[in-house]
Amino acid sequence: MNRQILAVDDSMSMRMLLRASLTAAGFDVEEAEDGRAALEWLDNNAPMLVITDINMPRLDGFGLIAELRARDRFRDIPILVLTTESSPEKKARAREAGATGWIVKPFDPEKLAAAVRRVTH
Amino acid sequence: MLTATHSPVDRAARRHTVLRGESEVSSDPRLMMTTILGSCIACCLFDPSLALGGMNHFLLPAPPEGSRDGRGEAERYGLYAMEVLINAMFKRGANRTTMRAHLYGGANLHEGMRAIGSENAQFARDFLAADRIQIVREDTGGVLARRLELQPASGRVRCRAVADRFPEARTVKPAATGNVEFF
Repeated sequence: MNRQILAVDDSMSMRMLLRASLTAAGFDVEEAEDGRAALEWLDNNAPMLVITDINMPRLDGFGLIAELRARDRFRDIPILVLTTESSPEKKARAREAGATGWIVKPFDPEKLAAAVRRVTH
Repeated sequence: MLTATHSPVDRAARRHTVLRGESEVSSDPRLMMTTILGSCIACCLFDPSLALGGMNHFLLPAPPEGSRDGRGEAERYGLYAMEVLINAMFKRGANRTTMRAHLYGGANLHEGMRAIGSENAQFARDFLAADRIQIVREDTGGVLARRLELQPASGRVRCRAVADRFPEARTVKPAATGNVEFF
């Protein structure tokens, strides 16, 4: 069973926190530092889920979601947005781009793992 | 570049106290951000290309391992406060190459106890290094509390030791975070 999750965040500390939380919950975590790096990794990999920040250099979370939804391989992959943003406008934009869910940082590790299970089962 | 000054910072028309757990970014030339620090850390960021600055204020680096109380109070922790401040700067157009950081606070107020202030300062240094943001000034450690003022639009900072026992700025009421919303 595919247990692989791609965590996309420009903050190394946040990626480490995601890795620790999700690994403890039984998932395998790969990391990318922005949307562009994520797309490069996804050229040769197929995780079961992508968790992405919004504000990132080179390619932000909105751009990443749009790029993924434009590719047949990732049309149905769950994508969770994990961000400090909470404005309705940003949420609406993510939903229109094709995000599956929205989580406001800071996250509770158990809630995050539950959200991952919910959208991947 | 952020400028540290020992002379009074220009009188500002509006003062805002940055409470524990709070982060604020502004380019308002009439605004003065201020806070009082004991073992807490305040990170000040300034991007001179935008005349944009900000300050956060956190109590501890991260929730204790295995702790469950971070859920409603994560704003107190540096892991979150640094992320919020840096993201707020990015949202206003700042970038790592032009952004500069100052660190203040991190006093070890109680002799013989765990040096929480030093741990806080080291956390902030490590976080900024990992995020490739240059620290240009640091006034941390010691045994005295500090009063800090930042004019975000100019990047001018004044940091003074407070000789007497001084209550730290209170903690801001936590915002609703950690919620999961499915589309």
